[in-house]
Amino acid sequence: MKQCFLILMMLGLPLSVAAVEQTAFTIRSTEIKKQPYSDAQTLATLAEKSSVKIVLRKGGWVSISSTQGSGWVKMLNLRSNSASEERGDNGLRSLFNMGRSGSSGITVATGVRGLSEEDLKTASPNPNELAKMKNYAVSQTQAEKFARSGKLSSQTLEYIPVQ
Amino acid sequence: MYKRTILITSLILAFTGTAAAFDIDWQKALKVGGEALQKVQTANKQLDEPQEIELGHGIAANLLGTSPLLDNKRVQIYVNDVGRWLSLHTERPNLPWQFGVLDTTDLNAFATPGGTIFVTKGLLMNLSNESELAGVLAHEMVHVLSKHHLAALQKSARMDLATDLASEALKDKAGPILDKAVKAGTEVYARGLDKSDEFEADRKGIIIATRAGYDPYGLPAVLQMLDAANAQDSSLALMFKTHPAPRARLNLLDKIMADNFDNYSAPVQTDKRFLAALAQVK
Repeated sequence: MKQCFLILMMLGLPLSVAAVEQTAFTIRSTEIKKQPYSDAQTLATLAEKSSVKIVLRKGGWVSISSTQGSGWVKMLNLRSNSASEERGDNGLRSLFNMGRSGSSGITVATGVRGLSEEDLKTASPNPNELAKMKNYAVSQTQAEKFARSGKLSSQTLEYIPVQ
Repeated sequence: MYKRTILITSLILAFTGTAAAFDIDWQKALKVGGEALQKVQTANKQLDEPQEIELGHGIAANLLGTSPLLDNKRVQIYVNDVGRWLSLHTERPNLPWQFGVLDTTDLNAFATPGGTIFVTKGLLMNLSNESELAGVLAHEMVHVLSKHHLAALQKSARMDLATDLASEALKDKAGPILDKAVKAGTEVYARGLDKSDEFEADRKGIIIATRAGYDPYGLPAVLQMLDAANAQDSSLALMFKTHPAPRARLNLLDKIMADNFDNYSAPVQTDKRFLAALAQVK
């Protein structure tokens, strides 16, 4: 993990981006851009239902390679086509899971059990854990400090009304 | 909302007053008016905020009965930092917001009334950055803001319970009625909310995350990850059962986001600290 972090730092890559190679298809005609911006140069246009290989993701953009060339396309123009390939708990394929390890597939946590419907129906309270949780809560002042240290700045925008 | 119902009731009653002149079925008109009145009465018996919080804490204790907290203070506080910052960009910033990572392999997240939010270790480990975490937390927070679980509880067969709940009885604290409500409330998590509530949480969640300075595409990226995952995997069973298909949710966000969110991005500092915090999760 640490090694991966270091390598990414050395390459100067944004840390949210990790390499994978999986496929997707376009759900509409899609422009391939030279950079991950709407006003970047258009290199080619993919027809609807074109197959692409995913290289990495950055925000709302995905770097792809295809028979039409390589570049950046909008993430929401793509859908996975590997969803039904596997059965059972045997290392899931996950197209857009560009998790921290850079490897594909769902990261499986070990050592603890799952949380089923039945568990919820027969749940009995654990007040000690609830008390512990209260201790982890942070104040508004602490949250504002956290935001500043991450260079997060508030934006003004309204909810989108139901169409 | 209540005002409107009252207005409608008044209109119906006013209408029934003139009904005879037009030879309209009095009984039917009165029945409609009566039902509307009853709705007004029920609406007036909704929980107040302290009751909402207490019910939520009861349900949260139950959820913690199914999976304890991940035993890592740093990760728990990190998730609280992100969540509390998000809460300052909502219409209910002063709720006692608290966030917890559940120590389970399942991929899921939960909200309980009054501002208690959970994300599972299984989901956390499959996120790529702080914006994705913000997207997940903001989605859950909308369920609190819009009181979706309270509505589900009232809509269920336990309408009688909901009415009792809203009565004075709850003021006793930890009384038998609260216990019943907490049990019924916990069962809502096994059934899931209305699909429309989930879509609302996606629609508003991306706005809250963007307001807080995050990448608006954090939540869509998580949905892409889930859409591409194997739906047969047991760690996704409960979430897939209780939510609309990830693809349907993606399609909705695709439609409403269009090109309107291209100018927002998250600071690189948030990526660094996400990786540092998550390196602690085993």
